Amino acid sequence: MTAQGAPTVTTPTAIASTLKERVEDFLSYEAELLDERQFDRWLDLLDDDIHYWMPLVRNFEHSRPQDEYSRQDRDAAWFDEGKPTLTQRIKQIQGGDHWAEEPLSRTTHMTSNVRIVSATEDEIAVKCRFLLYVNRREDEVRLFIGKRADVLRVHGDGFLLRKRSIFLDQSKMLFKNLTTFF
Amino acid sequence: MGYDSAGGGLIDTRTGMIDRTIFSDQAIFDREMDLVFGKSWLFVGHESQIPNNGDYFLSQAGREPVVVTRDAGGDVSVLLNICTHRGMPVCRYDKGNAKRFTCPYHGWTFSNTGELSGVPLNSEGYGGKLDRSKWGMIKARVARYYGSIWATFDEAAPSFEDFLGDMAWWLREFMMGPDGEDDGLEVIDGILKNEIPSNWKFGAENAAGDLYHDVSHKSVQRVGLALTGLRTRHTWDADKAKFRMLNITFPAGGHAVRGNLYDVAGRDYQSQWGANPEVDAYFRDAHFARQKRIGERERLLNRGGVVFPNFIYNAANRTSVTSYVPRAPGRTEIWKWIFVPKNAPQVVKDVMRHYLLRYTGPAGMVEQDDFENWGSAQIGAESHLARRLPMNYQLRLGGHAQWAWPEPWIGAGALVDEGVSEHAQRIFYDRWTEMMTGQPQAFRREAAE
Repeated sequence: MTAQGAPTVTTPTAIASTLKERVEDFLSYEAELLDERQFDRWLDLLDDDIHYWMPLVRNFEHSRPQDEYSRQDRDAAWFDEGKPTLTQRIKQIQGGDHWAEEPLSRTTHMTSNVRIVSATEDEIAVKCRFLLYVNRREDEVRLFIGKRADVLRVHGDGFLLRKRSIFLDQSKMLFKNLTTFF
Repeated sequence: MGYDSAGGGLIDTRTGMIDRTIFSDQAIFDREMDLVFGKSWLFVGHESQIPNNGDYFLSQAGREPVVVTRDAGGDVSVLLNICTHRGMPVCRYDKGNAKRFTCPYHGWTFSNTGELSGVPLNSEGYGGKLDRSKWGMIKARVARYYGSIWATFDEAAPSFEDFLGDMAWWLREFMMGPDGEDDGLEVIDGILKNEIPSNWKFGAENAAGDLYHDVSHKSVQRVGLALTGLRTRHTWDADKAKFRMLNITFPAGGHAVRGNLYDVAGRDYQSQWGANPEVDAYFRDAHFARQKRIGERERLLNRGGVVFPNFIYNAANRTSVTSYVPRAPGRTEIWKWIFVPKNAPQVVKDVMRHYLLRYTGPAGMVEQDDFENWGSAQIGAESHLARRLPMNYQLRLGGHAQWAWPEPWIGAGALVDEGVSEHAQRIFYDRWTEMMTGQPQAFRREAAE
């Protein structure tokens, strides 16, 4: 974003003392990069072995809650991929010829309820809730709300995203396309 | 222009012009539900979704909600998912296993073959006089075809085989594994469903034979998607053997196939999954097994097509089925099944699943641009000013398509056009008009001559 007065991401890490503050800052920074369309810098935050997964959500009887989300490594999913194809998706968006993202959507990613589930010297498991607002062209609006489970890998002074599982509160996709990252 | 006053005048496939109101008019849409969807065989799912007796899943037969069941004897039923008492869907789970369904409103209970088996207050409320045999769930006629399951609620509709005509072979061939084995596919669990702001016909006609919309898919071609090692989205782009691109249509039913007819029979295998040698080896073996099994027809690579009106398939390693569920003139639900060869090693299934998930559906790097463009086409269909001009379907119009193609195995009922053409779309709309008006259309008359 280059327009005068528009916000620009400048600091990769803020001054934060506790682990939780550092994790929250990382998630906010990552969201800022996406919202400001600095996709290459967002890619830099992904571990080379990242697994990025968004299962389908199905409607099952109360006795089968474990079946609500489609199974990892077996079933269909909205996203089930690693860094090479996430990089392809970003290259697709950046060419000016991907009509589903041309012109680019306006997005705002919000994360809240951040909770560290477990932490070792190498890895931190984090749960949070997300709200992603997407607005494009004249009047298209998409609202994605759900839960996320992330695994961050400690990398120097900061983190890299090792795994992201995205649990959307939608069964049928209520919108025509999923062209944004979560 | 109202439909009744215009008769069949909305569509003129002789001149290649189609009135935009067929994509936007509510009265036309309502008639389509009766005259097109109500009288056609519609795809509802695949046998691998209900492997065990008692299994069921929810689906759509056009706009109608259905539950597809396998009963205690292994037979398949397709039931309108509506309680005959007050109209509630009696099954509300995407899939499961059940002998019976009980309506959550008043408790009418139906067996998984649709018979009304229990009614609360049967003796004191109805005096034991309710004729349960008349109040079962509405049952469709069912056709099972090489693993695929089809249904129609029209008792007067022709048999499924007659409905398919010479499309039958190509549907059968689509349901084969890459090695040419019949009924060779299985569904990957989980149906991808989304909603697009477009008329259902934009998607259907696109699959019939829109072969020149590479502008749509420029971005994915640039990035590359197939595991060929080339910048391409199709695996067959890695096959350098010479072929002719055919638009094969079956005007009697409105069905169509897009195919590559290779010049030489028994062509060698050329690596199409080069990024994964194990997968490539499977497809190499399958290539030669298919040649042995299906004989001279192996020369044609079935790329995809449409069984009229709303069954869309993508073949040639992109094995998926799309059913367009019409909700309103400008609103369509997309249901998408993705398939892998059931006898393939797990690594092949995994690689194909990943390829398909990146290709298809709302997160698909190919189809996102389709959904975007069909949504935009709807704007033109709803514009009162634009409606002064029909839509243009004139590409390769006039005497270019041929009956009696040199390869007779393509089908006696086939009318084939070679190369980039809007021939298949014209045939699609010819059949649509025939069903909407009851009047035989141009290509059917031509076939009779």
